[in-house]
Amino acid sequence: MTTFIARRLALLPFVAVGVTVLIFSLLQFLTPAMRASLYIHDPKQLNALPDIIRKYDLDRPVYIQYWGWLRQVLHGDLGWSETAREPVADAIRGYFPATLELGMYSFACILALGIWLGTAAAVNKDRALDHLSRFTSISGASLPTFVWALLLLMVFYGHFGWFPPGRLSLDADLYVRGGQFHAYTGLMTIDALLNGQWWIFWDAVRHLVLPVATLTYYLTAVLVRITRSSMLETLRTDYVRTAEAKGLSHHVVIDKHARRNAMIPVITLGSLLFVGLLSGVVITETVFNLPGIGRWGVGASQQLDIPAVTGFALVFAGLLVLANLCADVLYAVVDPRIRLR
Amino acid sequence: MQMISWGRRWAALALAAVLVASLGTVAARGAGEPVKNPDTFVELGFGDVSTLDPALGYDIYSYEPIWPNVYETLIMYSGSSLDRFEPMLATQVPSLQNGLISADGLTYTLPIRQGVRFHDGAEMTADDVVYSVRRFLLQDQAGGPAWLLLSPLLGVDSTRDDKGKIQVAWADVARAVSAQGNSVVFRLKKPFAPFLTIVAAWTSIMSRKWAASHGDWDGGPTTWQKYNNPKDQDRYQFNHMDGTGPFMLQEWDRQAKEVILVRNDHYWRKPAALKRIVMRTVPEFATRRLLLQQGDADLVVASLNQQSQLRGIPGTILQDNLPLIALQTLQFNFRINTEANPDAGSGKLDGNGIPPDFFADIHVRRGFAYAFDYASNLSGGYAGKGVLPHGPIPQGLLGYDTTVPMYTTNRDKAIAEFKEAFGGKVWDTGFRLTIPYTAGNTARQVGAQIVKDTVTALNPKFQIEFRPVPASSLNQLLFAHKGTMYFLGWFADYPDPHDFAQPFLAASGYFPVRGGYKNPEADRLIDQAVGTPDPAKRKAIYRQLSLIAYNDLPYLFLVQPVQFYTMRSWTHGWYYNPIFPGQYFYTIYKQ
Amino acid sequence: MSAIRSTSSAPTLPFSRALAPARAVESGWHRTVRRFRRNPLSVLGMGIIAMFVLTALLAPFIAHPVERNPYMMPHSGYAPDPQPPRPGHPFGTTEEQFDLFYGIVWGARTAFIVALSVIASAVAIALVLGSVSGFYGGRVDEIVMRIVDIVLAFPGLILAVVIVAVLGPSVRNLIIAIAAVEWPTYTRLLRGEFLRVRDMEYVQAARALGASDLLIIVRHVIPNTIYSVLILASLNMGSIVITFAALSFLGLGVPPGYSDWGQLISLSRNWITGTAGDPFTFWYTLIIPGTAIFLFVLGWNLLGDAFRDVFDPRLQGSR
Repeated sequence: MTTFIARRLALLPFVAVGVTVLIFSLLQFLTPAMRASLYIHDPKQLNALPDIIRKYDLDRPVYIQYWGWLRQVLHGDLGWSETAREPVADAIRGYFPATLELGMYSFACILALGIWLGTAAAVNKDRALDHLSRFTSISGASLPTFVWALLLLMVFYGHFGWFPPGRLSLDADLYVRGGQFHAYTGLMTIDALLNGQWWIFWDAVRHLVLPVATLTYYLTAVLVRITRSSMLETLRTDYVRTAEAKGLSHHVVIDKHARRNAMIPVITLGSLLFVGLLSGVVITETVFNLPGIGRWGVGASQQLDIPAVTGFALVFAGLLVLANLCADVLYAVVDPRIRLR
Repeated sequence: MQMISWGRRWAALALAAVLVASLGTVAARGAGEPVKNPDTFVELGFGDVSTLDPALGYDIYSYEPIWPNVYETLIMYSGSSLDRFEPMLATQVPSLQNGLISADGLTYTLPIRQGVRFHDGAEMTADDVVYSVRRFLLQDQAGGPAWLLLSPLLGVDSTRDDKGKIQVAWADVARAVSAQGNSVVFRLKKPFAPFLTIVAAWTSIMSRKWAASHGDWDGGPTTWQKYNNPKDQDRYQFNHMDGTGPFMLQEWDRQAKEVILVRNDHYWRKPAALKRIVMRTVPEFATRRLLLQQGDADLVVASLNQQSQLRGIPGTILQDNLPLIALQTLQFNFRINTEANPDAGSGKLDGNGIPPDFFADIHVRRGFAYAFDYASNLSGGYAGKGVLPHGPIPQGLLGYDTTVPMYTTNRDKAIAEFKEAFGGKVWDTGFRLTIPYTAGNTARQVGAQIVKDTVTALNPKFQIEFRPVPASSLNQLLFAHKGTMYFLGWFADYPDPHDFAQPFLAASGYFPVRGGYKNPEADRLIDQAVGTPDPAKRKAIYRQLSLIAYNDLPYLFLVQPVQFYTMRSWTHGWYYNPIFPGQYFYTIYKQ
Repeated sequence: MSAIRSTSSAPTLPFSRALAPARAVESGWHRTVRRFRRNPLSVLGMGIIAMFVLTALLAPFIAHPVERNPYMMPHSGYAPDPQPPRPGHPFGTTEEQFDLFYGIVWGARTAFIVALSVIASAVAIALVLGSVSGFYGGRVDEIVMRIVDIVLAFPGLILAVVIVAVLGPSVRNLIIAIAAVEWPTYTRLLRGEFLRVRDMEYVQAARALGASDLLIIVRHVIPNTIYSVLILASLNMGSIVITFAALSFLGLGVPPGYSDWGQLISLSRNWITGTAGDPFTFWYTLIIPGTAIFLFVLGWNLLGDAFRDVFDPRLQGSR
């Protein structure tokens, strides 16, 4: 097992270099003036373009810029992000918790809802429940995320006033910024509990309801589909039919026998979903005004903030390798027939 | 349903319980309800702060917290006036009458107020004032505002020449800004009529000891060169502030995009009513609007086209038609770089493109000017809010003159002008060009659409397209002189006609440098106008300049827009001055 | 199903299917169509897509082009606020008065062109890379898979945003950007299929008989892998349109005025709260393009599910 894990982790630097080279090679398409635009916040500063190009050495060839950046990274400095207005490492450390918190709860809800609906659909194949659960989940993915996000916000905040945008209400926010609150993880829900401030915990939950609901609704469809087809496959296998013939209750057959084996593709999807969440959160973070890494990453990409995009991509690639690794380990746990080579 | 096990039912119940419990923290809301967060004011906008350093910041989003809320200047605009001043950190406003302006207009003396404390407790002295201004001049970041004071005080636009070498001497700087007892003396190279108004907006005073103790320049003559042209992150003042204003910086949270100010209880005047200010960036309009509606925000900034959705929300007031000292223009490029430039088509006057000097022909420019539909541009791009300009001097400034003629839509005249362009060749052969405009800017999109619609309707051989480009690409086009026509706006640095005449009409001005316009007569008049203290004389000269702009037609002056703010009706004490970059929170209270 | 029907269908061994194409296809097709028709949802999906195909094909007749570029929506005036449906504008107008009806009709064309272009590009790349990788294996396979890993290590939306930011927003560049995000998935799929088929008996037999690799790939391997690509592609058609809309939302979409559902619906974000008294003032800016996208994605999803139910060999032979 350990050699397997080690071999997988050895992939990491290779992927990291590949990703960074990919980004820097895109730089080839940019002129120095375009790269200088990153430092311009107001059209009045346009006259200073030559000065800015000179100041930040933007007219040097791409491979020299890459080498300069690489050297910096090997010294532990990921550079400065113009869009975040702080060092790239700080920005990632600061933005990541909000996205992690949102992603974590969404992931749990998607898994729960997706597996439940998918199983229900498979067991009741071609009957009303099958159609209904498939239709509901597909409809979630049939409109862009921001439509659901805005509609939910309008109804549940604009009309009822229940679930506001942002991470915390003003009072909670000011308390958190004050000296007494210690931010251990950066996740509001966890930190509130660790600080013993229940009202902040509930406040954070209240602000998470709509974003989590948006992401869950949007991403459940994929999981339902996979679970359904996987369950369908498993339900037709010999050992399941044998169990049914033996007279075991339907319930037991599903829960104890079928589901376990149906989980393998679900695990695959789980890791993909984890990664896919990062793409989906961008819009959710924009609409609900959450200080997350997706929103920053996209903004940095649009403004061609190269250190930020590269740093962000590195972190993301690392996470992906880890996620795939976890998935592979889970395969071995779930299915004893699979041996990790 | 047979598939729901007990485990699943408990999970569903638990989830519902969590949701219901969280609702317990909902506060009362709605119009007519008591004031939410009575001593905190929340403002929501859509622009990002890039720095909190008054010597380096140049955009309005960065400057809103800086001035006049946290840092203050030597003199201040009186209420909503743009040309009357009152003393602020100085005790008197210099004038010829009180002798604080010398007769030759070259020396300004400002006595400094005593007993004013910085936020860190230190007392402000003339030494701090001198340091702050010298720092403003000498840090001179590329693209920064230093040129505003460098120009009148040292006669240059930058501390560095074209190659990047320092071109100012310490002796000149020390002479230009110096302390004399408890006063600060400015010595100008040439008489400069708008000097006081630049002082009022751009001399933010910070503590020298505080700056020096945090790694910045100590004010000495030999060390300043090391601190020239910094990167934002090299300065402590990037995200720390120590001024004299009614509010202090509590925190700039760059991830949450929030600036939080707290009241300065030791302010040299009566402390502010509000205890805390939160300025937050919320890019999504719908979210901003809903936050205002629910009372979770007190003031919201939005663009003109969104006004119809903000009108009439219960519990809010809309402050409309707030004048802006700004002009939106369409600039002609007299020298288009047609090399590898798809916007210029073939690069020749052959019906498939335009030649580099296409817009150098006055008839072509007049054709465009008479064809354009100014009224539709105002109503479509700016929701009808604004005025049509009479030349480069906007309404509200000295020199604004409604008797100056302006171009109006006249199809026949447009056709006549095009028929004369290039000796008739334009009309016979036709042309093809593409206008690049800032992506996402609806007003400019409308403008480009109107140019296309009106001009192509005159002659089927005229082909015009327009395309949105991201800011970086537009900057590239501007840099390389490749754009055909540019939609550009100019917002006042200070409320004086020189700040418009020079950038628009001087050969070395911001726009002509890019567009290639040149008129020595305009340069002469501009220098003359800025050197005369007499308002009546200046007014006459600016009228002449406006006529030059009319006759030479280097730009179409499209709109002088207005802006608006929507705020909760429990906001009182708010007032507006067009030169403020944002709100002045000192006088506001909630009730 | 009655015993007679099931025994008359051809055996399901791929061997026999490949060697006797004519007979197997005929009975295979019958069986396919029959299973298709049995499922009401797949029929619904088919119907929806057919409707869109018709709209796209007949677009110039349903909505006459006005501008030189027929994909640009006509606009009547420049007023900033959207106007509700009225005579002359059956679906209303969006901001700056672009006609929604025209946009929806021609948007069908845009949706098909964009989605098909992306999928065609991705499949083309995947065919080349996947066949080389799956068929030859070894070193080549390792290299190709590592490249795929690297591209997949990038969050999809970020990669698309970076590409569009660098190349500039135009329909062509947007297609390139999304294709750059999608090709690894297709490559992995085709590689897996090629691996599976490579080891089958008839392919080995053909090799033993001396048939060239290319012939084998084209005659035997591709026809057997096509179904999985079809399933993936049909599900992708819908998600590509959604991604297009997401890019518009981020400001990297097609130029304003271009007939594109994604752009139309992202324009609705500014009007979704409506006016103070009536949140539904601008309902049409959301509902109309929203319905188009919803039906399009729904149709392709249902169709994709139907394809999977019908074509997936692992599910064949079930009741």
